[in-house]
Amino acid sequence: MKLSRAIRSFALATALTTLSTSVWAEGVLRYATVGEPPSLDQQVITSDLTTTIAHHIFEGLYTFDASNAPVPLLASGETVSEDGKTIVISLRQGVKFHNGEEMTSADVLASLKRWGEFGSRGSLLFDHVESVEATGDYEITLNLKEPFGPWKNLMAFINGGPAIYPASVMDGATKEPISPDNYIGTGPYKFGSWDPNRKIELVRFDDYVSPEGEADGYGGKRVAEFDALNFLPVPDAGTRIAGLRAGDYDYAESIPGDLYAELDADENVTTILNGGPIFGLVFMNSKVGPLKENFALRRAIQSALNKTPALQVAIGPEGLWRANGSFAPEGNVWYSESGTENFSAGKTEEAKSAAAESGYNGEPIKFMVSTNYPFHYDTAIVYTKQLAQAGFNIDLQVYDWATLIEKRAQPDQWDMFFTHHGFVPDPILISVMNDTYPGWWATPEKQELKNRFTASSDEAERQEIWSEIQALIYEQVPTMKTGDVYTYNIASPKLQGMGEATLIWPSFWNVSK
Amino acid sequence: MLAYTAKRLLTLIPTLLAASALVFLFVHLIPGDPASILLGDTATAEEVAQLTREMGLDQPLWVQYFVWLGNVLQGDLGTSVFFKTPVLSVIAAGAETSILLACMTMVWIVLIGVPIGVLSATMHGKWVDQVTSGGAMLAASIPTFWLGLYLIFIFSVGLGWFPSSGFPSLSDDGGLANLRYLVLPSLTLAAPNAALIIRLVRASMLDVAREDHVRTARAKGLHPANVAIKHVFRNALIAVAAAFGFTFAALISEAVVTETVFSLPGIGRLVVQSILRRDYPVIQGVILVIVVLYMVINLLVDLAYARLDPRVSLK
Repeated sequence: MKLSRAIRSFALATALTTLSTSVWAEGVLRYATVGEPPSLDQQVITSDLTTTIAHHIFEGLYTFDASNAPVPLLASGETVSEDGKTIVISLRQGVKFHNGEEMTSADVLASLKRWGEFGSRGSLLFDHVESVEATGDYEITLNLKEPFGPWKNLMAFINGGPAIYPASVMDGATKEPISPDNYIGTGPYKFGSWDPNRKIELVRFDDYVSPEGEADGYGGKRVAEFDALNFLPVPDAGTRIAGLRAGDYDYAESIPGDLYAELDADENVTTILNGGPIFGLVFMNSKVGPLKENFALRRAIQSALNKTPALQVAIGPEGLWRANGSFAPEGNVWYSESGTENFSAGKTEEAKSAAAESGYNGEPIKFMVSTNYPFHYDTAIVYTKQLAQAGFNIDLQVYDWATLIEKRAQPDQWDMFFTHHGFVPDPILISVMNDTYPGWWATPEKQELKNRFTASSDEAERQEIWSEIQALIYEQVPTMKTGDVYTYNIASPKLQGMGEATLIWPSFWNVSK
Repeated sequence: MLAYTAKRLLTLIPTLLAASALVFLFVHLIPGDPASILLGDTATAEEVAQLTREMGLDQPLWVQYFVWLGNVLQGDLGTSVFFKTPVLSVIAAGAETSILLACMTMVWIVLIGVPIGVLSATMHGKWVDQVTSGGAMLAASIPTFWLGLYLIFIFSVGLGWFPSSGFPSLSDDGGLANLRYLVLPSLTLAAPNAALIIRLVRASMLDVAREDHVRTARAKGLHPANVAIKHVFRNALIAVAAAFGFTFAALISEAVVTETVFSLPGIGRLVVQSILRRDYPVIQGVILVIVVLYMVINLLVDLAYARLDPRVSLK
């Protein structure tokens, strides 16, 4: 009797809770992620998952509109001196942090200084900055050593970028990510909780002060329609798909390419392409080993590769990849065909003779790859086979990602390694442009072009110089691009306001269900 | 029994020390370090070295071990490099899921495994035995990730009876009703383990059934059901008890695949992810807890023997 009463009570509680949960869930966006981000500290972490979550919490002075042009976000505008060396940025007034304090130039100054010294991409700008100072309660002045064209793009790129935190949070902050109790930004959602392996919850910031203007890309008006955003780690892709179909999630990321056609045809699922393609990169060691300064050998390796089979194996459906040698996708302002005739030659015999001419005598070439990202490993397997057919002695070393990261910092441990790169709106942000990135490409030819590229503020001139840099990449081969990969996510058809593609990372302001 | 229990508890100390030293050593032998992972792609060698110093990871291994051990003896397992919260609270959050999952799975195993095992033994050689034995083999052979995904497909996507994944804490909205999140994962985990128990109960009962005291009981004219339960099943339980104990411990530490398929925030997934992130304090803490769990369960199983079999004396 007692047992049956207990069972009835449990069933009733379950039914009531299911009902109440479904009502409650209307105001909550449930996003199935592939895992957990290393931290939400947007200034020092470049993980895409971090930005997917954190750009709802933190904002920068600028952001990008739908055409990838920088537009003001926390800034209200700027004036640039005629010599291009003094930039005065005015700030929006009345913007509140999640702790209730108003944002002033003191907060912006502290944030820019920490980002300039420790931020992942801070040195790209601050190597050119003489000083930064607060010249008013709502005004910041950047004094540059020389004119620096990409300053606004760097300010607008929030991934590893200059997110604005309260000065009290920036006090003493270093390269080490700040702790969750300091996740205080100005965005439409504020940090709620981080329940390890269970969920990261953001809740609506009721005192949010939105920028004006029609929503355009990440720019314009931002309205938080949901009570909360829940980011739920769901590592298995099959579970992410089933969970979305079952109504347990509203949005699920990183869906395998081979399911694209089936999901695209399913009326209960909306597929959303990521507008900014990612691309695989094979970096070459410029410090030690057989590839150091042997550009002829590198070109021989490059000419042995046919990228199309690698993309077919690693990605699958043709709609999700392009064998594009340009470092920017077709249609983008940085797209250039310069040097791309060498992108995917697949000339086995010519590669063999070119390698011999370069002095290569069959010594092992250590090629590191990680199994954490299946498309890295699948691509590396195809490359290894193609290179072996051209006579290269490839020593494929397979590690987990953490080991690969440690080893690639040690020049004597590798000759080539595989990684991938996210879409960036300015080529200065591509890792190969960073002289200290593993591979350490810093030839005089690169320096000369890079200096011209960063000194110019004229967009047409910068595009022309970028074409020259891309040609140099194909000539000196510090890295080899695999091709563009368009990842995609899936969403419940109930979601309104998502659009057909994301700009770079999905955003959930101006979205409801 | 008290003296025996105290003696066994004392022997746990050297075992724990040896296990903790081995775990510490192996964890630090894995290439890759938390500082590099934490600081990411763009960190310079100097920045990584500085954080390594701040975390105390530049000290000789034996120094690091004794510092860690000293803290553990004071109840401090350290702070997670990744979550920046005390390791104990990270483990506690995972332990809730793992313990509830293991308990619910054990319920299924007992409800399914024992009756079918008894039925199979008592109907030995008949079609019922063949069907149940075949079913048990099938259940043991199905990979858990496959079974899990099919259960999700049928009961979540198709029928909508249970949630597909995740597990909110019992202290969250929903309370006890949140246990419905564990129904499908526990059934997934129970399938191969129940199959094992079916085979074990069946084999043990058949062994006991051949013994003299059973023949005597039958010769006395006792009812066959009485013989099967009181004389055969109870004696067969001695072997099954050990299996229950270790199955329970394994369900907590080895449910990684099921936890991954159902996105459960359990101990198994926590330890695997901590290894990938090189979160040394969490790895060491979790493995230490698992070692303690195994040793305590081993002790409980030994104590249970004495209750089940009066011939066993604890000295």
